[in-house]
Amino acid sequence: MMISSRLSLFMGLLACILFLTACGQTAPKRNARLELAAEHGQSAQRAYDRGDFHTALKQYEMALQIDVAVENVSGIAIDTLNLARVNQLLGKPEVANAYLDKLLQDSALEYEDIYLATAAAQKSLLLLQHGAVKEARLWLEKASEWCKEKCAIAIVIDNTRAAIALREKDAEQALHWGTKAASASRDSSPLEYANALRHMGEAKLMLGEFSAALHLAEEALVVDKLQGLPEKIRQDLLLAASAHDGLGNFEQSARFRERASRIIGR
Amino acid sequence: MKLNNYNQRLLNMEQRTKRFMLGALGAMLLVLLLIAIKQDYLVRSTAIYFFAPNAQGLNTGMAVKFIGFKVGSVKEVSMQPNATVRVKLSLDDEYVHLIGQDAKARLIKEALVGESVVEIIPGSQQVHQVTQNSVLQFERGQDAGSIAESMAAQLQPILSDIRQITSSINNPNGDIQQSLKNLNQLTGDLRETVKQFTLLGTSGNEKLESVHGKLDKALDSVNANLEVMDKAIPKLLDRADATLENVQTATSDIKQMAADSAGELPAFIHNSNALVQDSQDMLEGAKQSWPFNGWFSKPEAQVLPVDGYVSPEKP
Repeated sequence: MMISSRLSLFMGLLACILFLTACGQTAPKRNARLELAAEHGQSAQRAYDRGDFHTALKQYEMALQIDVAVENVSGIAIDTLNLARVNQLLGKPEVANAYLDKLLQDSALEYEDIYLATAAAQKSLLLLQHGAVKEARLWLEKASEWCKEKCAIAIVIDNTRAAIALREKDAEQALHWGTKAASASRDSSPLEYANALRHMGEAKLMLGEFSAALHLAEEALVVDKLQGLPEKIRQDLLLAASAHDGLGNFEQSARFRERASRIIGR
Repeated sequence: MKLNNYNQRLLNMEQRTKRFMLGALGAMLLVLLLIAIKQDYLVRSTAIYFFAPNAQGLNTGMAVKFIGFKVGSVKEVSMQPNATVRVKLSLDDEYVHLIGQDAKARLIKEALVGESVVEIIPGSQQVHQVTQNSVLQFERGQDAGSIAESMAAQLQPILSDIRQITSSINNPNGDIQQSLKNLNQLTGDLRETVKQFTLLGTSGNEKLESVHGKLDKALDSVNANLEVMDKAIPKLLDRADATLENVQTATSDIKQMAADSAGELPAFIHNSNALVQDSQDMLEGAKQSWPFNGWFSKPEAQVLPVDGYVSPEKP
């Protein structure tokens, strides 16, 4: 009896010591340059979140310089992708494309598949924006090959497939990919969920199902307003206006177009 | 017998070890409790909001004060789709009943150089107290710029007085210019009079009466001019005195303020810098120590979200 109580006491003490030792462990520290690069990245992210893309651009450029200097491969990939995105938002698609090519055509460094998949998807979207549907499909297939299991941009790829189908006037395919993207993003990404709803709405318009299109546009509008995305809100209003046109509600349509014209992107 | 004693001693040791362990456990719990109190985990709070035109000077974690006491903190500062800034405050429940729905939130600085705080300006007692998600009106307190503006507004009338006096001196129809003109005229009259006096001497006594008359006239004119000057000069002197007094008071006030601040500001700024540096060092140290090292995530680079939508409109 006594031995067992002493043993339990000893075990308790040992557990306490192990617990405190485990808690006292510190994570391996990054070097000062990597810390600085990460800080620039954080600062850029904050600027991006508040819509200050010029500051974000400068901060990502500084982060990239440091990551290149210490050959931080994942950092280089992230900074390059982010610079492409910010340049696209600043209305410089050719600069954005150059950054993506730098990543996709780099034969010296070996990047993780997820970064290559993201770059290819971004390139596909850029091409689609300029009406190059065939090339956009090509790069989307490459993105899909790099995008393995539990890929973070699978929803973006599905949405891009829907967008390509819409350009090819294939409403059924657009609806299929839009529905897939919507069900995958409903709880995880409001941005992509609203995108999927908009694609589905456009597909429904093509099919002449104007009430359904209007319903989808209104749902997308609610999601985009929650996120505070002016350009997306404008697109939702224009989609709703087209649906009202189809339903013969020309007065309502005019109202929605007027609302859309008052949205100023910032 | 010996074995019994040995067992007794072992039992005593076991009892003491148990007490020691219990004491250590108690101390750990006390520390955790103190951390929880410090972090306000045990304080029930009410969230209220206000909207500001911009986020200048507003930061998460800022203190919220009510009649000088800290009653909460700023929990969130976020931009709204209509380009306004929404600020979320967390107020301790024990003070909420003191704050009416018509209370105002004002952004002020506690000292010339120092932290900004959000001060709650109490509303009228009759109005209902604030509740969860109430929205207060917001205004900005006076900063160094507005104080300078106010000082400039006070100096403005003094300067305008000086300008008025100067223009009065320069004005050809003004009192001073008129007096000088009259004096000039008087001098001319006197010269004429002297000339006539000389003529009088030569022409004889018959003209003495008329010269007398002219001399009287001239002397009357001198008297009149001197009277005008007597009236005008004291008034001017009074105004000049008052103006100079105002200027002197303002200057001495400014000098006093500058002198008071000159000694304290450099030391205050130096101390603030040292304090901020110390705080940063302490925070860095704390961030790397248990249990705080688990609470703060290190900044990690992240890929921005890709937007999988292309507008049907042509670029």
